[in-house]
Parts: sequence; structure tokens; C-alpha cells
Amino acid sequence: MSNLVGAFFTLCIFSFLYKDNPFYQMSEQLLVGISLGYGLVFTYTRTFIPYVYQPIVLKHQWVLIIPAVLGMLYLFRFSRKLGWLSRYPIAFSMMSVGASVPLGIHATILVQMRQAMVPIETFNLFLIFFGTIAVLLYFFFSKAHTGIYGKFVDVGKWYMMIGFGASFGLTVMARISLLIGRIQFLVNDVLGLIK
Amino acid sequence: MKKTIPLLIVIVGGIVWVLWAFSPHYILQEVFYNKFYMPWALASAPFAMLLGVMSLSMMHSNKIKRKAPKWQYSYFFFAGFVITSLAGFIGGTQKGGVFMWMFENMQMPMSSTMFSLLAFYMASAAYKAFRARSTEATVLLIAAIVVMLAQVPLGVKISKYLPTISQWILDVPNLASKRGIMLGVGLGSVATSLKILLGIERSYLGGGD
Amino acid sequence: MKMTFFERIQKLDRRYIYIVVALAIIIPLMVPYNSDNVTTAPSENLYQMIDSFAGREDRAVLLSITHDASTMPELYPMEVAILRHCFERNVKVFTLTWYASSAPIIDYAINNVKEEFPDIKSGVDYCNFGYKPIPLPLVIGMGDNIANTMNTDAEGRKLENLPIMKGITNYNEMNLVVEFSGSVAGMTWITYARPKFGLNVAVGVTAVMAADEYPYLQSGQMIGMLSGLKGAAEYEKLVDVFAGYREAGIDYRVKTDANGKKILAGRPFGREILKDESTKELINITTQTTAKFTPADFNAFVAKYPEQAGLLRQLGKEDKGQIKVDVAAITPEQRKAMGEVTYLDLKKMSRDIPYKFKVARIGMNAQSVAHIMIILFIIIGNVGYFVQKARQAKVS
Repeated sequence: MSNLVGAFFTLCIFSFLYKDNPFYQMSEQLLVGISLGYGLVFTYTRTFIPYVYQPIVLKHQWVLIIPAVLGMLYLFRFSRKLGWLSRYPIAFSMMSVGASVPLGIHATILVQMRQAMVPIETFNLFLIFFGTIAVLLYFFFSKAHTGIYGKFVDVGKWYMMIGFGASFGLTVMARISLLIGRIQFLVNDVLGLIK
Repeated sequence: MKKTIPLLIVIVGGIVWVLWAFSPHYILQEVFYNKFYMPWALASAPFAMLLGVMSLSMMHSNKIKRKAPKWQYSYFFFAGFVITSLAGFIGGTQKGGVFMWMFENMQMPMSSTMFSLLAFYMASAAYKAFRARSTEATVLLIAAIVVMLAQVPLGVKISKYLPTISQWILDVPNLASKRGIMLGVGLGSVATSLKILLGIERSYLGGGD
Repeated sequence: MKMTFFERIQKLDRRYIYIVVALAIIIPLMVPYNSDNVTTAPSENLYQMIDSFAGREDRAVLLSITHDASTMPELYPMEVAILRHCFERNVKVFTLTWYASSAPIIDYAINNVKEEFPDIKSGVDYCNFGYKPIPLPLVIGMGDNIANTMNTDAEGRKLENLPIMKGITNYNEMNLVVEFSGSVAGMTWITYARPKFGLNVAVGVTAVMAADEYPYLQSGQMIGMLSGLKGAAEYEKLVDVFAGYREAGIDYRVKTDANGKKILAGRPFGREILKDESTKELINITTQTTAKFTPADFNAFVAKYPEQAGLLRQLGKEDKGQIKVDVAAITPEQRKAMGEVTYLDLKKMSRDIPYKFKVARIGMNAQSVAHIMIILFIIIGNVGYFVQKARQAKVS
């Protein structure tokens, strides 16, 4: 029975492929509404109760009233006169960007650079090294891409084309997998046709 | 003035966080992080959800008031939202309740199906829009076709070497180009974070006074 | 001007294309056929790392499932396959999510796999932390002490009291985290947990993101990766060939050895076994109804069940040097006579894979047809375009 409800809404959304119709509009709005309601209830039971209500009211950690008030300042976003109050909770959560500077430099830049500069033992490693530099220089627009330098930087363009081609091939696979999943649901769980 | 105090909070707090990343000192790790930041961050987190609720509710009620096109469907939004919230608050979030039933049998199929529509659009785009207009586009399409064929079981039947070639494409040129792009993006994002940390970048505070 | 054939197919209404796509997927799904997914290094590395934790009290895997229902078709089979691997080989597994909408998915996955393993208990072999709101403090806190940071599991039980936590303190023991995500995956762990605590990270991603994660694989920041439906199919195959492998002669009713430790089922990973012809028998996707034995294996199998020896020898039929038992032809009286345990063991020997453990491979069959279709679309589209361009160049 529950599967039939799921199948009904699946077909409502698939009907959009033929033409925009009331069933699709209805299920689209329903989707947004249910997602929002779900998020609200889950935030209440899993975040508000254990981390705000219980510490303040039950364990009497009164100092936590300050962050609770800080969180409520988010709502002043909608007021024109007092909108500046909503900057405080944003500032509080933006503080942690300080940690991402050193750790981000390490993980995304330094480690990647270190791995790109390994001893060039095989031809593949040479190709990777060559390609990484060519791609980096391709985006360096302060020097004109002319002459031999231009030809070198052009190699970066070919590397990127192959890279994007590979991404496209994998993207096709990903999108079709999503469709396969839905059709497996319809054919198997609802109609029971595959074993 | 109204922007200065939040800016100072970010700058001072940011510097403390940088020190936190480097120093194992007790004051930073235990007192600052465990006793101050974690409970405070968790306590101020749930209220951001109210922002989303209010924003969407205001938008849809305006639509109904102004009788904008397709305004009747906004009632479905409110119906879905109110019924789900009531079912959750009154009935509870355990498995088998009305709340989870609605989520598993209405929201999950619908959101999966929304994404699966992309497969149809991709096939239609492949037919109508992907043209090998230049040599670069041809190279892109050939790489894509090789990788596509090698991913499926049929690929190894077409040619024994296809999986190896495809894995080489992924391991060497793809890796070099993604690494180059990633280094560029990494440098850019570190520069932006540094600008936020030093108070040069202020757009996250919003416009106005 | 009358439309030529090429102009007509160029202007084809997109709804016909949609019908072709739908048929190209529905038909292969309804008509299963056997195919072989070639395994690649990223999936094999992940398999080997999880298998190295087999049977150890002081090692555990953490599955961080952070995606919602929209990416389930690609990521859910991966989770099922890894959970099956862990339950077969006695690897302690923890699950966790940062998104509210992923919490039901963890329950689905665990309950789905648990049906095949009646001995697996919550809090002993696996533990679900459930939905925890903010990642950063918890990711870092687990580096010191998991029980203190997480406090309770999804059912509200305190972690320090659970048997599974015996021997597991922090990332030194829970040494591998596999993150499943439809967008950026593994970055929190690589940025914060790996440099500080030396945690091993692996990811299961949708194929869209797979190409972007290769730099992390090569730099060693990720030890393995499952990319999309193909990664799931590869992992399912590896589990069938190694962790799910059952030998005719071993008595699997004996669950623990003399010291009370659980005996590991299945066999360890070996690349030569994958190239061997015999693995083809183990990975058939179509329904298998015949159990095939060599004469020596059949004798070993019958020796396990001495009371039913007569009945078993009656069922075994000699065919081209092998002894075959048609499991589908066993009547209810014969089944009652031999007992459920023997019947299920015989069924396992037929190498029939339950549907839930071959979902990704069935999907990959449909994927083959769909890919050929898309390549044909691209080629036909381009041919039509070039013919039209040549014609226009000739006219002008």
C-alpha cells in the first residue's frame, strides 16, 4: 500500500516530461512543504531539545541563554529597522573560518603540491607533472599566451578537455543511475516483476 | 558602528581559531573549544531553521494574497508543511509513525524522481546539442565515449584494453587537470578566507548600514 | 522545401527521445543477463583495508552517510555491500549522519542487510550513532574519545556501556571512515581529522564527483573510492567472490572456536582469484537453482550431515564429472526430511545471490544499454549536423 503511494507521486513527477500539468505542480509544492516540515521537526527533536532545552532548563547551565538569544537574532533578518542585529549570529559562526585557513592550506594546497612534485620515475608521473603545470599556467593571464610559451600553455587546454570529457562520461553514468533506481522501484517493488 | 562590532568578533575569534589549529595548549583546546565554542554553537544552531520556515511561509502567503500565477498550489505547500509538522510534534519521530510514513513514502520518492528527470534531459541534450564543432570538442567527446564504454560490463567485451585505457585517462590527464584546477581553487578560497579573517571582505554581513 | 531525412531527425520531438530512454532501461531490468564488472584499484584497495579489520576487537569502520534520498540509487547499494562485508567478516561497524534526511536511510540499510544475518546484534556487532547536528566539534572530539564525544547512540543508550566499545577509544582504533555523499565528500575528515589524528579516509561518491576526487586518491589522502553505480557493482562482486564465499567442506554451524572467538567466514582477498575462471560461477546475476560440486567436495558436504546422507546422495546427479543438485526441484517433504539448516546450506552452494545484494549489478546491465543508446544519439546527432552543414556549404 505504501509503495502505491510512492508510485503515484513518482508518476506525478514523471508526467512533467509530457507536459506541465496540475499533478506535477501539486506534487512539487507538496514536496517543498513536507521537506520543510520534516526539517523543522527533526531540528526541534534532535538539536533544540538536547542542546538548548535540556542544558538550560534541566541542567541549569544558565550561561547558554546567551547563545540561544544569539540564535534568535537570526530572525531579525526580516526587519528593516533592526536588520543589523542579525549580523551577530552570522559573525559568531564565521569565526571558525580562522581554522580553515591553515588547515585548508595544508590539505588542499600543500599536500597536493607535494604529491605533484614526487621524483619522476615513470612516464605517467612525468605526464602528470607536466599537465599540472600547464593547466595552472593556462589560468595565469598576466603573461600573454604567445610563441613557445603559448604552445606550452595550449597543452593545458588539451589536458582539460580530456579531463572534462572523462567527467562528462561519468556524469552520464550518474544521471542514468538515478533513473535506473526509480525504474527499479517501479518495476520491482511495485509491480514485482524482477526477481 | 553597526558593522564594526560583528567585524571585530570575526577578527578576534578568527585569530583564536588560527591559534587553535596550531597549538595543543590546554586553554585553547579544552576551555575555548570544548567548554565555550561547542555548547554555544550547538545552542545557537536550531534557530536558523526558523529563518527558512518564515521565509518560505511569507513568500507563499504573498503569492496567495496577490493571486500570482499558480497561486492555488501554494495551499498544497501549507498543507504538506502543517500536516507533517503536526504529525511530527504530536505523533513523534519514531519509525512507523505517521510522520516517518509521510517522509518515506511521499518525500523520498518525489525527491528521487526529481533528480531522475535529469537522465531524460541529458539524453535529449546528447541528441540535440552535443556537436563536435571544433577539435577540442571532438577530443572531449572521444574521451567521454571511451570512459562511458569502459564503465559498463559491455566495454570489456568490445575490447580487452578498454578498461585499461579508461583507467589511464582517469589516472593521468584527468588527474593532472583536476589537480591544477583544485590548486587554483584552493589558493582562491584561502585568499578569501584570509580576507574575511582580516576584515577586508565584508559582504557576508549584508548590505545597508 | 521538403525536409530531408537528416533534417527530420534533427527536429525530432524530444518526447520520442524520452520514450526510447525509458524503454532502453525498462527492458534490460526485466530481462536479467550475466555480465562481468571489471574491478579497479580504488575499489579493491577499500575492500582490502576493510578486510584487514576482519575479526579484530580493536579495529572498527565508521560509515558516514551524508546524502538524501535523491542520490540513493547510486549510494545505497554501496552501503548495503559494505555492511554485508562487515557482517560476513566480523568487522565492527559504526554509522553516523550529519543530515536529518539521511537518518532513515541508515535504518533501511542496516535492517535490509540484517535480515540475512540473524546473529548480528545492535550494540555488539554494529552501532548506529544516528543524526548528530554539527560535524566539526564531533569529528575533532572523536579523535580524543568517541564515547565521550558522541554520548549516546541513535536509540539513546550510553556508549560506554555497549559491548562494541570494548577496545575502541578513538581514531587509533576506529581507523577508517567511509563517507557517502552526493556532493563534496570526505573533505571534513581530510582537512581536520587526518592531519591531526592520522585517520584513513575513503569515500563513496556519485559518479559526477568521482573524477574530481582522483587527486586525493593519488596523494594518499583517500585510501579508496567507490564511484557511482559501477563502484557499487564492483564492491558487490568482491564481496561475493571473497567475503561471501562458502566452501562445501566447512561446517558453518560452528560459529565460535575453542576460545569463544567468532570464526571468520569467506576467504581473504587475492588478485589471482579474480582472474581465475572459477569466479564466473560465483557472480551470476540470473537466478541460480543448481548446486554444482566436484565429487570430492560433494563427499565433504555429505560428511557434514551424516543423518541426511542417504537423501543427499539420492538428490545428487552425476553430470560431466560434476555432481549437480537441482535445489528448485526439492519437494516440501524432502525439505522437511533434510531439515532447514541442510536445505539453506545447499541453497548457498547453488551460488544464488539474493536480489538485495545484486541491485547494482542489475542496474549496470541497464546502464550498458543506456550508454550505447546515448553514444548512438551523439553519433546520429553529429552525423546529421555535419551532413546538413555540408549541404548548406554546397548550396551557398
